[in-house]
Amino acid sequence: MFCVKNARLHPRTIWHFTSYGVLPIRCYRRPGVPPDNTPPWKKIDFNFSKGVQGIKKHFGLLKKEMFERFEGPQGRPMREIMLEQTRVVWEFRNQESLEQWVVSSDEEMGGKSKIYLRLSRNNQTALLYGNMCTEVPKDGETRYSGYCTLRSKQLLGAFNVKTHHDWSNFNTLYLRIRGDGRPWMMNIATETYFQHQKNDMYNYFLYTRGGPYWQDVKIPFSKFFLTSRGRIQDDQHPLWLDKINTLGFTLGDKADGPFHLEIDCIGVCNDRAHTEEFAYEKYKKNP
Amino acid sequence: MSPYILFVMLSSLGLGTTLTFTSSHWLLAWMGLEINTLAIIPLMTNKHHPRAVEAATKYFLTQAAAAAILLFASIYNAWYSGQWFIQDMSSPVSTLMTLAIAIKLGIAPMHFWLPEVMQGISISTGLILVTWQKLAPLALLMQISHNIKPELLIILGLMSTIIGGWGGLNQTQIRKIMAYSSIAHLGWIISILHFMPALAMINLFIYLIMTITMFMTFNLLNSPTINTLAMNWSKSPILAATSALALLSLGGLPPLTGFMPKWLIIQELTNQELAPTATLLALSALLSLFFYLRLSYSLSLTIMPNTHPQTLNWNMKTTTPLPLSLMMMMTLTMLPITPTIISLF
Repeated sequence: MFCVKNARLHPRTIWHFTSYGVLPIRCYRRPGVPPDNTPPWKKIDFNFSKGVQGIKKHFGLLKKEMFERFEGPQGRPMREIMLEQTRVVWEFRNQESLEQWVVSSDEEMGGKSKIYLRLSRNNQTALLYGNMCTEVPKDGETRYSGYCTLRSKQLLGAFNVKTHHDWSNFNTLYLRIRGDGRPWMMNIATETYFQHQKNDMYNYFLYTRGGPYWQDVKIPFSKFFLTSRGRIQDDQHPLWLDKINTLGFTLGDKADGPFHLEIDCIGVCNDRAHTEEFAYEKYKKNP
Repeated sequence: MSPYILFVMLSSLGLGTTLTFTSSHWLLAWMGLEINTLAIIPLMTNKHHPRAVEAATKYFLTQAAAAAILLFASIYNAWYSGQWFIQDMSSPVSTLMTLAIAIKLGIAPMHFWLPEVMQGISISTGLILVTWQKLAPLALLMQISHNIKPELLIILGLMSTIIGGWGGLNQTQIRKIMAYSSIAHLGWIISILHFMPALAMINLFIYLIMTITMFMTFNLLNSPTINTLAMNWSKSPILAATSALALLSLGGLPPLTGFMPKWLIIQELTNQELAPTATLLALSALLSLFFYLRLSYSLSLTIMPNTHPQTLNWNMKTTTPLPLSLMMMMTLTMLPITPTIISLF
């Protein structure tokens, strides 16, 4: 879970009914920080031209979604979908590509880690850099600290309807990265609207080798294991690829100091030689 | 799942459908439908998987809503006409009852739950969903068919065939394709229901045989998408060849079995002075035929441009089950015995 700093009240904020009144459930509020009780109408930005732009954008997206069905699934011809074996999902060539990602660190909860994301030289790659600090904030309730995260934003369609990545034709995640030797954790979050397990996430390790050479990392999706709020679950199941919401990188190796991770591109590919369905819990449970 | 629990669930499924078949009271029929819904939910969530939970939730909500509407319509009918007998449904709520049963069956425009639910469950549970779970609501629909406006059934049937054909065109997941195939076939069944219920039963019987064949094939081949289906020619060439023909039978091509119900329905609709309806149904069958052809192309008529077919033999089962052989034979070769089948119903 993460919160974007200075976030406006999200249209889908859940209202929590307590004896103190009606409180919105938002991001984590650090103890000692006064609650933000500004009424919602003061947070709305009344800007006519922005509104018109928004209407044009959303109706344009709606029209595109309606007409791309005639082309094929996901707006591409069926032959392309069936024959494709690789797909580049994110590549960092301009500033707009960075808008699809959110950075976060333990600064949200009072820590001192810093993380930044910018385009690297010649606008060819993205550089994720910062400083990790494991100093625990002195608020009386936090016991551990020190993490930095890069996470992709949720895909939104026309009128901010949630859409998902459909990677069911692929079985391997491909990354072209250049790190500094620190171990990262890849997180994939799928759609959990119909369950109570909203914190479910599928993780795997990403070990970077420092050095001037680029590293091609291929992680099969069968290797991802299920965790919830950072704890590995007993009841493991394979990751289904038809409704992927977000992909993330987390650094939490308890080592203070600067870090750098340069990402060239992130894609998915279909490795036909990889026949493993799931790496864990292959036995039949409850026979 | 423990065999005892599995036995309890499967026998509850059988009980629910049998209750609905044998009942002449609306409440008992509703009870049978509810038992069916509740019995299949644990089968759907057998694997603790988010998609399975999603499928079970969607299935339960839609079926519970449909059962509530059905109960409301039957209570209104009892209040209006003073009796609970199923076949004497003469009140204005026959339309509401039809819509409730249409939601249960997954007939367009109440079909949106079916592809998502099918996607989340295993192939064997999906087989139960599209075959066994259709029997009880169709039995009720047949009993009240003479009281329903024929225009409503024709419109629902046409919408189902068109939406079932169109919706399946953009799918790459096998289970969703079979869901849209189920929607289209149910459209054919209900379009003829008012005029000749026996023909609807023949169509249902042939549809069950063809669907069971295809589901058992996909279960054996263990392929969830069209791309993985394309690898199976090396695993089992005979099954690949016969499955291609079975898919064409589902599409309604002569001289395969699937042509029989379509031919008889078109003939009957033409006799009932509904030739434009018959034409539209036949044209919408072409849409379904397109995605069946696409499946047969990937299954047996083309070879995918991939480099390692030999590594895929790890998944091969060496024995073909006997029921699949029997069903495949019936799917391909029953057209010449059409008069015998007509005399059975």
